[in-house]
Amino acid sequence: MAIGVNMDVKGKEYAPFVVTVERGKIKEFARAIGDLSPFYLDDAVGRASEWGDIIAPPTFPTTFRDEHADTGAMLKDLGVDISRILHGEQEFEHHKPIRPGETYLCQSRITDIYEKTGRSGPMAFVVREMAVVDGDNEIVCLVRQITVVRL
Amino acid sequence: MRYAKVHAEDVQPGDPMPPLVKPPIQQIQLTRYAGASGDFNPIHQDDAFARAAGMGGVFAHGMLSMGFVAQSVTDWVGVGRIRKISARFAALVRLGDVITCRGTVLEKRPAKSGHDHDVDLELWAENQKGEKVVTGRATVTLPSRG
Repeated sequence: MAIGVNMDVKGKEYAPFVVTVERGKIKEFARAIGDLSPFYLDDAVGRASEWGDIIAPPTFPTTFRDEHADTGAMLKDLGVDISRILHGEQEFEHHKPIRPGETYLCQSRITDIYEKTGRSGPMAFVVREMAVVDGDNEIVCLVRQITVVRL
Repeated sequence: MRYAKVHAEDVQPGDPMPPLVKPPIQQIQLTRYAGASGDFNPIHQDDAFARAAGMGGVFAHGMLSMGFVAQSVTDWVGVGRIRKISARFAALVRLGDVITCRGTVLEKRPAKSGHDHDVDLELWAENQKGEKVVTGRATVTLPSRG
């Protein structure tokens, strides 16, 4: 039986949440990818660099999650089981380096939901955007993600 | 002159990016990536779950492949130079797959500020059969020598 998604979720804004970037988390993330750049892993190299500390890899904001505003929360709103989803697209727009010890404010919004029929049948595409800002209210990173739901 | 691995003068449209070949995908890497990223979808860990979902077995997180693609760019131009990076997940990455990340320079133009240049890259990752598993784009800012 075909499943549907709750289209009313389009436009939903999730409550902002706060993340504080942990030094060890940056290193764990870089190592999990197998990216052993000393600019992510070596504190001494980071201190001597133009940033004065290690920085996070480009895809690190994917770790910025909150149980009230993450994919799980979104799936609950859509009425979709986790076994039905695929990752369609992802984009990061970086404005400032992400540094250990910094605290950021993250806010997500569902900007679009549309349905299309592809090779493997009908699918819904859920577009979500997350803004990451710092304590000066300056944009650090904009994240755009498309989740595909197999209907 | 500021230090850079690659300066704006070093790149021209059509130039290939040095490829990055990653070790074969192993289950332990997917488990590690789940822990590091916070994406614990069992479809990447539990083969029975992934089969029951109609996916024919576990497959890698798309974000792991995007991490590889981002690494291929930073390995070349240095870290901290990516302004924007996007990926479309075109095919599933399976256990044992060997992923190679490639790219070419699309365009170079003066950046808004200073002597920097913005360089657009076309990026992709392919498996050992040459099938594209990720296609993407990036914009990097490279300093000039002058």
